[in-house]
Amino acid sequence: MSSSTLVVSDLVVRYGAVPAVHGISFEVAPGEIVGLIGPNGAGKSSTLNAITGLVGPFSGSVRLGERDLTGRAPEVVARSGIALVPEGRRIFGELTVDENLRLGLAGRRTQRGVAEDLERVLELFPVVAESRARSAGVLSGGQQQQLAIARALVAAPEVLLLDEPSLGLSPAITDTVFDALATIRDSGLAVLLVEQRAQRTVAIADRTLVLANGELRLTLTPDDAGDTERMIHAYLS
Amino acid sequence: MLTIVAPITLVAATAVVGTFFERSTEIYFINALIAVAIVVALYVFVGSTGVLSFGHISFVAVGAWTAGVLSVPVAEKPATMPFLFDFLAETTVGNVWSLVLAALAGGVFALLAGLPLMRLSGLTAGIATFAVLEITNNVLRYYEKVGPGLNVFSSVPETTDLQQAAIGAIAAIVVAFAYQVSRFGRQLRAARDDAPAARAVGISVYRQRLGAFTLSGALAGLAGGLYVHYLPISVDAVYLDLTFITLAMLVIGGMTSLWGAVVGALAVSGLDSLLAEAENGAAGIDLPSGSRIVVVGALMAVVLIVRPSGLTGGRELNLGRLLRGSPGRRGAA
Amino acid sequence: MTVLATALSDFLHAAVEPQVQVDAIGIGAIYALMAVGIGLVFGVLRLVNFAYGQLVMAGAFALAYASDQDWPVWLGIVLCFVVVITLTLAMERVVFRPLRGKPAATMLVATFAVAFLLQAVALLIDQTDDTLGEPAASLAKLNVPWTILGTDVRKITVVAIVTAAVCLAGLVLILSRTTVGLHMRAAAMDFETARLLGVRADRVIGSAVLLSGILAATVAVMLTVQQPLVTSTFALRETIVVLAGVVLGGMNRLFSATLGGFAIGYASGLLGGALPTAQSQYLPSILFGLVIVILLVRPGGLFTRGPGPVERV
Repeated sequence: MSSSTLVVSDLVVRYGAVPAVHGISFEVAPGEIVGLIGPNGAGKSSTLNAITGLVGPFSGSVRLGERDLTGRAPEVVARSGIALVPEGRRIFGELTVDENLRLGLAGRRTQRGVAEDLERVLELFPVVAESRARSAGVLSGGQQQQLAIARALVAAPEVLLLDEPSLGLSPAITDTVFDALATIRDSGLAVLLVEQRAQRTVAIADRTLVLANGELRLTLTPDDAGDTERMIHAYLS
Repeated sequence: MLTIVAPITLVAATAVVGTFFERSTEIYFINALIAVAIVVALYVFVGSTGVLSFGHISFVAVGAWTAGVLSVPVAEKPATMPFLFDFLAETTVGNVWSLVLAALAGGVFALLAGLPLMRLSGLTAGIATFAVLEITNNVLRYYEKVGPGLNVFSSVPETTDLQQAAIGAIAAIVVAFAYQVSRFGRQLRAARDDAPAARAVGISVYRQRLGAFTLSGALAGLAGGLYVHYLPISVDAVYLDLTFITLAMLVIGGMTSLWGAVVGALAVSGLDSLLAEAENGAAGIDLPSGSRIVVVGALMAVVLIVRPSGLTGGRELNLGRLLRGSPGRRGAA
Repeated sequence: MTVLATALSDFLHAAVEPQVQVDAIGIGAIYALMAVGIGLVFGVLRLVNFAYGQLVMAGAFALAYASDQDWPVWLGIVLCFVVVITLTLAMERVVFRPLRGKPAATMLVATFAVAFLLQAVALLIDQTDDTLGEPAASLAKLNVPWTILGTDVRKITVVAIVTAAVCLAGLVLILSRTTVGLHMRAAAMDFETARLLGVRADRVIGSAVLLSGILAATVAVMLTVQQPLVTSTFALRETIVVLAGVVLGGMNRLFSATLGGFAIGYASGLLGGALPTAQSQYLPSILFGLVIVILLVRPGGLFTRGPGPVERV
């Protein structure tokens, strides 16, 4: 499968007159995890919303490889190969696990190879495989998070966006989720990981961008994971 | 100050212009002024609560029935309304009293209906008010002890002329304005925009809504009184069509401002009148009869699609903005 | 008190008559179909389509036209479906789509305007072409009764009940077994998330609107058999009652909305069939009185659990 790089250039997002993101640029290449961290209100969600098409950017562009996706509708973005694991998981609790996975298929560009992709995803998340016939609403938070990632992956995306996947999860489950992310990266996907848990993110990501007040402040590497002082500084500056 | 002066000026101007025409054209102006009274009544509730009421025409109907039944001379009642209750058959009041009682009846009915209904909100409230309209219409249609039933109201003195219609409309505007700037009106608007916050500072949304509903019912009753003194109406005149057209007037004008209510009522009435004239072959255009409502319906749909917050954007008239020519804030995106 | 007790006892005796029951179920079946048509569109658009009755009315006009032209019955029914479905899709494209995401009050009043407009057009056609507004006679043979065990069952009642059952079963299959059905259910629960997953908004809304149009055409055929006199206010009363039923049952679930539609149709059939003539003219008052009482007791819907509808009007 051809893989493309997600390129965000000079992105500006405003809500009415209120600016949320002031011209940030970054790339996420196939086979890498890019972390995006920052305090509440830093512009993380606005950035994601602009990529997924929930809000139209004021200026700047979002491209996947050759394709310009700036300001396109959410379903167009999803069907172009960018899958989202939304904040709060947004599982359809009244549908079964299987139906949730089938909804993920809506983002596929080709209907070939569905069975193989499904098998691979379920292998990655055995918990999901075990409860396919159950109502998704009865799953635990950790199970729902894994379902949300599985649901995004069955779309066979080139880029995977995750919005705070560790929110509300126990450290043990967070480990499971982050281990899965490493596997996903190694399979050649471009992964953008938006997180509050800075240390974990810096440790797993190839690069981590620190966002504050709508601007990119600095880039951290996995080596910085132990350097708490630098991280605190990055947050507070 | 412009908030009250502008609507009154517009209404007064409409009445004055109307005096220059013959009776056959004058009726359009009277019609428009009665529409203003009804729409302003509707606005008092809908504008301040944000809840759509489909039941207001029942208060208009009750007002019309009250004023109508009480105004027909005693001697003529046995002929037109043979089954009336004795006390209704034996009583006749003057014009002013009949209007006062119409307002009172509308208000009392709204209060009684509102006591249970104002606990509801959203679509549930909408359907419940619709149910009130259905019941009112059904009872007035068949219960001949309180009115003419299926027949039209004949022998009601036709006292609603331009002057009286204008006074009635202006009275409604003044009451609506006084309510809007009162503590109650402001509290209810605050509750409309943010119900939890309003509750947190101790505003009882239920009681405030009930107050607005009652007041708006009284104004609707008054408008009904004006209506029955203007035309020999039947029960179908105060039912679905009037409900729809007055709601549309309010939404088209802009349902969150008094200015919007008045502009909407006058604009739609004016258009309707012009088209009616065109149907009669006037104004150089000759429309087939019945096409008037097609055009009005289509235009309403267009306005709602193109400008969902109404012609006025739901704002009061603001001279400063007008002079600067700035478009102001468009409605919620 | 005894007068009331006697009246109630008379009513109950009349209400358990097989004749009354069969007719009430027949009305309930048709109302249930209308409720589904309204509920489907509400599910994906959060829009209460007041103009639904005018779609049915347009279908009835098509049937009356076909009958007047001495077309065979099947051709009339085809025309009815073509007219209603075309009109439904046009309504979505011209009115619903520009209004997406606008305040609920605006959307509702806009559908009011469309209803008003279509009714006016019908009136205009009625006036200019006096062949319309005439009975759609060719369908009348479905209106004759069979006598089964002493009960007169009109053929159309059987047809209505069977058709409703088939339509509802078909709808359940579409919603539960097909991809577009799954997408529609997901969109009704959380449209934004569905779109983020790649569910195409236009397609889901188009499908829901199309299905609601098919149902409207079906209802048009059955109502025209029962009331062959086609006028511009055709199906208006039914729509109002069904809307009340839908809200009564619970608007935010298709199932509860359908049940609400059936319940109010059944109740109105029962009241109509079992009330003595003198009181039956007050049927709307009794029916809508019941509606108010039930709304007060169960504001979120009779057949739902949890909180009421999410939209604010």
